[in-house]
Amino acid sequence: MLISVDWLKDYVDINCSIEELCAKLVSVGFEVEEVIRQADNCKNCVVGRIEKLEPHPDADKLQVCAINIGSEVIQIVTGATNVKVGDLVPVALDGSDLPCGMHIKKGKLRGVASNGMLCSGEELKVTEDDYKGAGVYGIMILNEDYPLGTDINEVIGTNDIILDIGVTANRPDCNSVFGIAREVATVLNVPLKMPSLKYEVSKCENTASVSVENSNLCPRYMLSMVKNVVIKPSPKYMQKRLKAVGLRPINNIVDITNYVLMEIGQPMHAFDLNNVANGSIIVRNAKDGEQIKLLNGETYTLEKDMLVIADSEKPSVIAGIMGGMFSGINENTKDIIFESAKFVRESIRRTSRKLNVRSDSSTRYERGIDLASQEIGMMRALQLIYETKSGEICSGIKDVCKESLTPKQISCQTSKINQILGIVVPDEEMVRILNSLQIETKIEKSNLICTVPLYRDDIENANDLAEEIIRLYGYDHINCTLMDSGAQTIGGKSIDQQNVDNVKSLLVGEGMNESYSYSFTTPKMFDLLEIEKDSDLRKVVTLLNPLGEDVSIMRTTLMHSMIEIMAKNITRGNKAARFFEFANTYMPKQLPVTEQPIETQKLVLGVYGDCESFYTLKGIIENIIDYFGVKASYTRPKTTYLHPGISANVIVDNKIVAVFGEVRPDISLKYDIKNKIYVAEINFDLLNNLYDNSYEFKAIPKYPTVERDLAVVVEESVTAEQILTIASKYAGKMLSNAYIFDIYRGKGIEKGYKSVGIKFEFTSYEKTMTDEEINNKMNKIIKMLDSEINAKLR
Amino acid sequence: MESKIKEILNKALTLIDDSENVENLEAINQIRVQFLGKNGELTSLLRGMKDIAPELKPIIGKFVNEARDKITSRIEARIAELTAKSIAEKLNSESVDITLSSKRNPKGGLHPCSLVINEILSIFTQMGFQVKQGPEVETDFFNFQTLNIPKDHPAREMQDTFYINDELLLRTHTSPMQARTMISQKPPIRIVTPGKVYRPDDDATHSPMFQQIEGLVIDKGITMCDLKGILETFAKALFNENTKTRLRPSFFPFTEPSVEVDVTCAMCGGKGCRICKGTGWIEILGAGIVNPKVLDNCGIDSNVYSGFAFGLGIERITMIKYGIPDMRILFDNDIRFLKQFN
Repeated sequence: MLISVDWLKDYVDINCSIEELCAKLVSVGFEVEEVIRQADNCKNCVVGRIEKLEPHPDADKLQVCAINIGSEVIQIVTGATNVKVGDLVPVALDGSDLPCGMHIKKGKLRGVASNGMLCSGEELKVTEDDYKGAGVYGIMILNEDYPLGTDINEVIGTNDIILDIGVTANRPDCNSVFGIAREVATVLNVPLKMPSLKYEVSKCENTASVSVENSNLCPRYMLSMVKNVVIKPSPKYMQKRLKAVGLRPINNIVDITNYVLMEIGQPMHAFDLNNVANGSIIVRNAKDGEQIKLLNGETYTLEKDMLVIADSEKPSVIAGIMGGMFSGINENTKDIIFESAKFVRESIRRTSRKLNVRSDSSTRYERGIDLASQEIGMMRALQLIYETKSGEICSGIKDVCKESLTPKQISCQTSKINQILGIVVPDEEMVRILNSLQIETKIEKSNLICTVPLYRDDIENANDLAEEIIRLYGYDHINCTLMDSGAQTIGGKSIDQQNVDNVKSLLVGEGMNESYSYSFTTPKMFDLLEIEKDSDLRKVVTLLNPLGEDVSIMRTTLMHSMIEIMAKNITRGNKAARFFEFANTYMPKQLPVTEQPIETQKLVLGVYGDCESFYTLKGIIENIIDYFGVKASYTRPKTTYLHPGISANVIVDNKIVAVFGEVRPDISLKYDIKNKIYVAEINFDLLNNLYDNSYEFKAIPKYPTVERDLAVVVEESVTAEQILTIASKYAGKMLSNAYIFDIYRGKGIEKGYKSVGIKFEFTSYEKTMTDEEINNKMNKIIKMLDSEINAKLR
Repeated sequence: MESKIKEILNKALTLIDDSENVENLEAINQIRVQFLGKNGELTSLLRGMKDIAPELKPIIGKFVNEARDKITSRIEARIAELTAKSIAEKLNSESVDITLSSKRNPKGGLHPCSLVINEILSIFTQMGFQVKQGPEVETDFFNFQTLNIPKDHPAREMQDTFYINDELLLRTHTSPMQARTMISQKPPIRIVTPGKVYRPDDDATHSPMFQQIEGLVIDKGITMCDLKGILETFAKALFNENTKTRLRPSFFPFTEPSVEVDVTCAMCGGKGCRICKGTGWIEILGAGIVNPKVLDNCGIDSNVYSGFAFGLGIERITMIKYGIPDMRILFDNDIRFLKQFN
């Protein structure tokens, strides 16, 4: 909210610096986001009078002038042709900054000293509308008398200070100059001056009629009439203030409605009486499909929950939002009616959003208007009509109000306030503070009895009163205590949360870096990854209002994001990287989405670089599986975007808990990746459910472990798992470990075959094993390997 | 005989003294064999004792034993000497370039935001707060309505929202977990809820997805002073012991009174610098006394219980803590950025 300090001063005397004022406003909850000093745009530029004009000795088109700037007479060389001796002109002195961006320094022009510059309207960014004569080609000649040396900002009306104040949503009453003035008066402890509401009525009478058909959406509607209006520019001060807060002056009537909006916070609407059939105003719901062409030139089709202002024939305004093309004021307008109404904010907000039409008025209504402002706004508008002699004010203001105008009373024990705050604020201090906020307060037996003004409908209970009291009493009175009255609680993380932390540590130990990517992604990802058309992954939660198509759906897999992360790093020349990320996927329970989707915590891994392979990821995944205390087996997945020969599903407890492998080279290419990249996606929720952290002690064997190696030649297609399964099956319970330690292909081994070296470790808890026992086991294993997978001893 | 023994002894001692450490004391062991072995010179001499007169036997025997002892101890001494010498030589000659890089597999690292989350959660869990997490796709009911933000209320303007339909949205804050917890759990409640939240903003200081940590305490007799005390304790732990806290009035629909919490700038200690824009203070979180309407909405008797809530933005604190100027780099995932936090 932009507030002009000049305007503010109409209602409150500011007895401190602007800096202090801002600090005080912040301390009571009004953040001052910016202080705009208009004069900062134009520095060191003053009123001067031309005393002498002589031709330049060396230049035909230049003149040398002597200019009196009050304190001294200075010499300036000018190229202007429209000045004469005696003219008052804006003089930019040495070291001045002008609104056009120029910085003026003294110097010499064709050998003659020039100590500044005479300014044009354009250089001062002043138009003919702002100052008569500013629009001429050449120097701006001042048409009024000013003391020499007067700062030019005073002349052109740019000497105001504008405060950009953040008004929180609970204080709609402060979205106006007068509202802020009320707060300023309280914090500075100075009297608040009331707006002038006095005017005289003419002999005419307000003949318009009002009928409010839906008082739920329009609790109060006031109407007045002004006849024989004179459409003309509004007074200078009004124009200046409107411009200062970013509004464009139009004519006296429109400006008065805007002025009241900014000053009192009450939106006003002026109708040309000529366009209101029978002078009767009807506030009613729109008819479904009813159409209206608004001031912005667009035609809108209305729905029946929208409120319109109509006459007996047609709607002329969408209530509180925007007037119709033909209902407003024009240069031929003779008689007008003023509307000052309260429309409920929810209705305005809904309609404004549905139609996508916004205005200063709708914005103001959306924040909420109290029931008292209609009357003050109306009277202020009529007072301004009177003051500016803009027309004849008719007697009689129509006022349809369905709600009580009696201020509400609330009461609360002072001890309750102190209980909320945790300190003791003296009773009399509470009373003083509340009264200073115009909340009329008495105290009876430690009970505060408060009469809350209509414009403070945010105050409803003890907590609200506590807030009012403490923000003025000062938050620096609040001490630090540590919940002495609270019960002891056990803090910490759940096992599932600890598992995430522990696995993160494990991954960091594996040289991986954690990434963070957006939960929303592009619907194109499914085609990029060539996901089957009927796959569940394609059933997604879609955002209604995404920031763009590429971030419009909630991801059902993290793979695409991880491939993108690697693609970006590869493009940037980062040679190798290992990434991991924990994030949710979102699976709708049904389409269209009607309830919250299933959110599953997933872990995605991505690695690339010279040292990486399928087995990098397999190793990491095995460590994770080990962490969870479960056993995994591996099957070949049918994952469209993974290399069919270099990818695997990880199965635990008959469930696929992870899939990983090399991304198919043709898919990588679509991401502009020529390197081999490897990805894994792990369903962390599934692993969390399987987590087994139980341990059982087993005595360390007393007898030595016996090792045997075996080398067999098998067909390429035989897997390690097949070999080891057979080996374990026939090795008996003394086999404590068996693993493949070597695979050899090449000289001595037929093509299509490989030699596999297997290490066996036998351990007994009962006795020292004899060679014979072990040999028997090994022979059995050799025999079974031969018969089941045709493995031949090498 | 006696001179023979002396001769052998001298020969042995000379050989021992002259011996050098060749191939693991091979030479000196040879000497031991040469004199004391089964067929050694001294041993052979002893074997010849049977030809000696009986009365001389003890004397000669004594000589031989003495000679053997001398040789043995001289061998031991020489071995010790040579071993010491060879170790000394090794220590002198062997050396590695200690600045050469190792063959380790370097460790990775957590994302800087995770570092900050871990730190914050660790502080609060030590103060008895439980960590709770909730859904990111939320209902309008939990994200807004239970938190005293009815439909078409102007407070909704404070938080632009990604909608899925009229009733579902991406949560705009972690506050829905306040309501979810209060509905499902009886006081005393002390929770912190980290998580991703979403708002349609995208510039140097806003990201459409970011992370918050929400805190909630519900118990008997909780006051604004408790709020300040807990948050000041937190700020001291997160920044440093000298950090001071300041409350400023503000507005959130679900707390009343509501405050913004500023802490003294950790960079300049409150003197004023670029980070705090010269004010000496940095706004780190919003907080307040839980609005009794919210308690009532969640079935907690506001006449018996009170509490406070607070919410802070992780990315903002991460940026302050590590001096990161642009929020977008946090979601850029360039390994050169991420490795700075290994």
